[in-house]
Amino acid sequence: MREQPLKEVTQLIHAIKMGLVEGSYSITNKTLDIFKYIIMSKSWQSADALMQIVRAQSRIMQAALPQETVTSNIARRILKLTREEFDLLQAKVQHFADDSQASLSLHKLVTQTSENSVSVDYSIPQQGLREALLDHLQEVETELETSSENISVQAEEHIHSSEIILTLGHSRSVENFLKRAIKKRQFLTIIVAECAPACRGHNLAATLANEKNVEIIAIPDAAIFAMMSRVNKVIIGTHSVLANGGLRAACGAYTVALAAKHYSVPVIVLAPMYKLSPLHLCEQDAFNMVGCAEDVINYDSLPARDAKVYSPKFDYVPPELVTLFISNTGGHAPSYVYRLLTELYHPEDLEL
Amino acid sequence: MGEEQSSTSSAAPKQKKQRQRNRPRNKRNRLQDNEIQSPNESAMQKANSNPNQNGAADKTREQVMAEREAKKQAKLAKKQKTTTPTAVETAAATTKPATTIITEVEQTTITTKLTTTTTTTTKDNVVAAVAAATSTKVAPSSEPPDSNTGEKTRDQIKAEREAKKAAKQAAKTAKTTGNNNVDTVTQKLNNLEVAPSTAAPTDVEKKKPALSKAERRAIQEAQRAAKAQGQTKKPNAAPTADAKATEKKLPSVITTPAAAVKESKRESESPAKSPAKLSPLKTERECKVKLFNHLVRANHDASLFINDARVHPSIARLGVQYAERTIVGSNARCIAFLHALRQVVQDFETPAKKEFGRSLDGAVKYHVEHLNKCRPLAVSVSNAYKQFRNQLTQLPADTPETELKEQLAHFIDTYVENQIGKAAQAISSSMQEKITDGDVLLTFACSSLIQYILEEAKRRKVAFRVIVVDSRPFCEGQEMLRRLHAHGIPCTYVLINAVSYVMPEATKVLLGAHALLANGYVMARAGTAQVALMANCHNVPVLVCCETHKFSERFQTDAIVYNELCDPNQLVMNAKCCLNNWHKSRLTPLNLSYDITPPELVSAVVTEVAILPCTSVPVILRIKPEIGY
Repeated sequence: MREQPLKEVTQLIHAIKMGLVEGSYSITNKTLDIFKYIIMSKSWQSADALMQIVRAQSRIMQAALPQETVTSNIARRILKLTREEFDLLQAKVQHFADDSQASLSLHKLVTQTSENSVSVDYSIPQQGLREALLDHLQEVETELETSSENISVQAEEHIHSSEIILTLGHSRSVENFLKRAIKKRQFLTIIVAECAPACRGHNLAATLANEKNVEIIAIPDAAIFAMMSRVNKVIIGTHSVLANGGLRAACGAYTVALAAKHYSVPVIVLAPMYKLSPLHLCEQDAFNMVGCAEDVINYDSLPARDAKVYSPKFDYVPPELVTLFISNTGGHAPSYVYRLLTELYHPEDLEL
Repeated sequence: MGEEQSSTSSAAPKQKKQRQRNRPRNKRNRLQDNEIQSPNESAMQKANSNPNQNGAADKTREQVMAEREAKKQAKLAKKQKTTTPTAVETAAATTKPATTIITEVEQTTITTKLTTTTTTTTKDNVVAAVAAATSTKVAPSSEPPDSNTGEKTRDQIKAEREAKKAAKQAAKTAKTTGNNNVDTVTQKLNNLEVAPSTAAPTDVEKKKPALSKAERRAIQEAQRAAKAQGQTKKPNAAPTADAKATEKKLPSVITTPAAAVKESKRESESPAKSPAKLSPLKTERECKVKLFNHLVRANHDASLFINDARVHPSIARLGVQYAERTIVGSNARCIAFLHALRQVVQDFETPAKKEFGRSLDGAVKYHVEHLNKCRPLAVSVSNAYKQFRNQLTQLPADTPETELKEQLAHFIDTYVENQIGKAAQAISSSMQEKITDGDVLLTFACSSLIQYILEEAKRRKVAFRVIVVDSRPFCEGQEMLRRLHAHGIPCTYVLINAVSYVMPEATKVLLGAHALLANGYVMARAGTAQVALMANCHNVPVLVCCETHKFSERFQTDAIVYNELCDPNQLVMNAKCCLNNWHKSRLTPLNLSYDITPPELVSAVVTEVAILPCTSVPVILRIKPEIGY
């Protein structure tokens, strides 16, 4: 069966591909809007039908934008919500409220797949499901909006005064987090690795330099190891968090994490919950993509004619190099990510 | 710092004085603190009659120093009076008149201080005025009408107190006539004061700005010399040194009597505080990262000191090439240095009645210092220089100069040939065994030695390819890529960020080095350590190729203690880059030259002697004299 994409979905895909919509947050937000529109539309009668539509559309987006995992993540969130709301309503009807998935225990985690899949039939039309879903979606939206704020609030718990912090490239979460830290703590020194060839680190450095009481040092990527011996903490953003607690982060993150490991510097990764993806990828070849090589070496230079030039965009950082994840719900160890995933998504939705 | 206590005065007040004197020194950069404390201090002043602290907010350090100097001079004058009464005959015999005279002196000093802007002139005035005082030629008429009456009166009070105190001290010291130094000091002081006494303080003030640059430099040099002399802690030692230096320099600056005084004046302060040096220091601090405050950035404006008549043109040219980085890479720098050195040796003329070896040593030392100013010397260069000096000391004394020059030229040629040329060949031949068909060799930035090895492998028709890893801002890898491309070696080119992307392909990592440190650390272009780290993580062997002439006896455990800072503007990409106005914000781009790779990340070091683990560097260093030179 071949699904047709909705008009909104094609528009969004186009916008993302053209770079009109940038950053995980805005992509997530836009995707959520689409799913909200789907839920509000009358095209579905049962939970099952809705889930079919959501799955189909998210599959299309995933195929079109393989590097943007957040779209699938949010689709999984919606699917899980639908299941929850449906179960809740069913439970109300059948008067056995304790079987709702709102209270997950380890025992149920282990057993639910076998039981629930048999027992729950989502194809029954359910009254009030649409309203309940929209209500719940509102919650998700608020969570999304406040996620950056919630992460940055935790800055005080992790940063003391006169610390030397190293970061790489430009992540919005990191920017807010550091701004908060600068306000609350004095004499911070923030080292920003530029992350060539795009050198987005320069943006971050320039933005942070507007704050008071802080010393910003912009370094080329080659100096990461040299500076690491003086760094107290590495704080980086990530593109997505993989199921094993590894990172799919901006190119260069692996070097930073390795250097930090060499000097036993804690690596703190800021990752809002919507970046958690249930993907089991253990090497960069599984997801990496190469960008335009023009920035790396001029096309008109003589050696560029024969040389192979790569400009990869992502790096895989194994979980053992990450010390801590800070999400909008708090801090998590990399080994705990799988648990967050089971709480966040329904096991049946891991494969869309 | 010249302290004026005489050895005989009781210990307790001495300590007190010292403490007070130290105070403004500590606070020179904290004017606000001074302002807050000034009421306190004025209270203390009443007890101690020490004027130095009052009004510290508007007084620069130089001014304070000037006052101190004035005190010192006054006291010496008193001493002089007791030991050689003829010199200061005309000065009042009792302490009371002396006090008034000095008060007047101080007044003139302070008023001129208020009217002039530069601190140097005021200092001169103080001395000039004191000189005038000793010859009882205080000219109240030279006191210009002053508008800042409020400040003036305060300063007057201060000056009076100061004078009183000075007089008291003088009276005290006058009692002790057993001091040996006094006579000489006073005599020298007489000499010193002959010159300025002819000029009225106002004259001095006018003449001051007219001092030429050369004179100032001479003064600074004298000052430095005097400082070195005056390091002894004996009381009166500093004035003696001052006087000596003044005597030494007098002939050259006799035309401007003020200069002589200025010298003696300046000598009492450390060279770092002279205004000429203050301004560059300040600008440097602005664009410096706190962690690297200890590193002196090479003076990139080589034109400042390039027109030095004592520097040989070949060295001057080399200096510019170093500074502009047209000659980079430790081998290239070493070869260029040795060639220039040979020119210097050839053109060297032994001064009359001097020994060839020693005078050449001095000249070469001067040249090396010049190069060091242009850009900190590479380890290879300083090693070559060390060997050259070693050679100089072994020169036979009874051989004609031309023959000696030939010997030295021959030494330089063999050094280049053996240490660089043959070493590269030896390393290359041992590396050829390591490069086999199908190899993917990863290298970082540009190394002439690695290039040589790869070209040799290509000549042997080994099928291999090279991954060149590069980093901004130097982008030396592009040069490497160009050279390898010219030899038809298939290349892959990535930036250092992407090294994790290409590392799985690599079978060996070949790295060049700037130097090998005695603790086994490899000092190389910034980024090398990261490549080695990544290679280690992917279990790819890391081979560092380094000739033994680059081995250094230095120990270093991080890249921060000793490094070279390059132009931070190189980090700015283009006109649109956000770093463009970094000067105006709290942002500092940092451009490090080198980093240090720990030995555990390096599988082996390939030298012309053998393929060794990093930790064997000290062994090589110890046996080195026996293995070739």
